[in-house]
Amino acid sequence: MFTISGLHTHYGLSHIIQGVDIEARPGEVVGIFGRNGVGKTTILKTVAGWVRPTSGDITLDGVSLAGLSPDRVAHRGVGFVPEDRRIFPGLTVEENIQLGLLQRRGRSRAEERVAVDGVFARFPRLAERRRQLGTTLSGGEQQMLAMARAMVGAPTLLLVDEPTEGLAPMIVEQIFAIIREAKAAGTIVLLVEQNVHGALAVADRYYAIERGRVILSGDTRDEAGRAELLGAIAV
Amino acid sequence: MIDYLQFVLAPQMVTGLSLGVAVILVALGLTIIFGLLDVINMSHGEFYAVGAYLALALGAAGLNFWLLLVLVPLLMLPIGFLVEKGLIQRVFNSPDRHTTTLLLTFGLGLVIEETLAVIFGPNTQRPPTPIRGAVEVFGVMLPNYRMFLIGFGLSVVAAVALVIYRTRLGAMVRAAAFDRHMAASLGVPVGFVFAGAFAFGIALAGLAGVLLAPVYSVFPTMGRDFILLAFTVVIVGGMGSIAGAVVAGLVLTQIQAISSLFISPVWSDPIVFGILVVMLVVRPQGLFGRLGRG
Repeated sequence: MFTISGLHTHYGLSHIIQGVDIEARPGEVVGIFGRNGVGKTTILKTVAGWVRPTSGDITLDGVSLAGLSPDRVAHRGVGFVPEDRRIFPGLTVEENIQLGLLQRRGRSRAEERVAVDGVFARFPRLAERRRQLGTTLSGGEQQMLAMARAMVGAPTLLLVDEPTEGLAPMIVEQIFAIIREAKAAGTIVLLVEQNVHGALAVADRYYAIERGRVILSGDTRDEAGRAELLGAIAV
Repeated sequence: MIDYLQFVLAPQMVTGLSLGVAVILVALGLTIIFGLLDVINMSHGEFYAVGAYLALALGAAGLNFWLLLVLVPLLMLPIGFLVEKGLIQRVFNSPDRHTTTLLLTFGLGLVIEETLAVIFGPNTQRPPTPIRGAVEVFGVMLPNYRMFLIGFGLSVVAAVALVIYRTRLGAMVRAAAFDRHMAASLGVPVGFVFAGAFAFGIALAGLAGVLLAPVYSVFPTMGRDFILLAFTVVIVGGMGSIAGAVVAGLVLTQIQAISSLFISPVWSDPIVFGILVVMLVVRPQGLFGRLGRG
């Protein structure tokens, strides 16, 4: 179980997140929607430990993550696919993926090899390019790499920020398919996405954010709620 | 002509090469610290001096040179670790980090230099040369210790490059150098990697101190003189670049050695530092890219 309760985050004097409450269960994809600059990415960055919350709590399976450094958050089972992918230049595809193994400590070399082989079996394009520098891949392949890198550590919670931005429709479908697979494996997915229609097709529940507050939340199967959501976040 | 090559040019080039390898060891630590932490360590030369003085003191206590080659860098590791954790990290997140860390390490260097003068005195000292004699190769007399210094130094540089570019630990270092937040979110213990890399850089400086003490003597300001050349190597090679430090270290020290055959040796330093100035104007990023940037 993942919970965010009464979260407040500041950037300097700017009060970005103003008392957000979110919860998600294992195997659930939760969409976080809203216009640009309302604080969606800041919520993910606060969970990942990139930004310190001013107050409130974040828990994963009863353990508090609030205020922990990003590596400690990662070691507690949180994978992060940030908005701009952040592939390391100078590192090969394989090296990028192997770094993701550090998230899950205590695995033997053999178990790690199985995890990497599993990722390459799932992403054959990455397997073909395993010795290539990560930044020489196409945009879609880099997004796949960012997803693979976050998932090789078998996270309990996966934070995904704008994964389909600027990608071709075929790649977008593949990204959503990967998110469905993570959900089927029992991973909690927190998905920030501008492609609301696409995201609603994979999400179980949603939260709409406006000026750092949750203004709407609900179940994606509720047609009336979906219509209200689309109205609330329309530009 | 052959006589000139045998008795003048070749020995001079070997002298330049041995100095070059030692400069590379110091510059390597400097460039790793810069590439990873974005910190210009102004006290690096003084840590080189600490290594030399530790070798001198422990050698006088009866430990042999070969043991010191391992022991001194190992002693330098915790010193470097504590300096990074206790001093650098305290100002690391300040808004004017570059200026603050530069001044902080400059001040630390002065403290170390003065402390060495108080403990060991201001006079020059010289440990015995561990390998005496020379070997003749194609009629050229090559001093054994300098040949050892070149071989050992290059082996250390190759080992460091292997670790950085061929191991998971090296991938962690390169990832943290490029994007510390993303590296941390994958589970890389960035704080430990930073302190470890700083300590490793300091250990390399200490190792250079042990190696060069029998050649260039030991005195409290020895680091100040040597670090200027190491900084030049790092800037010309590309700040944060390991390959750059190696290439620039070898080229600049050869320029210094060979030019002194044709013009007065007093001009070798102005020539080398002139190259630094020209490089900063023409290609400020240096010859090679930074650590973590391919």
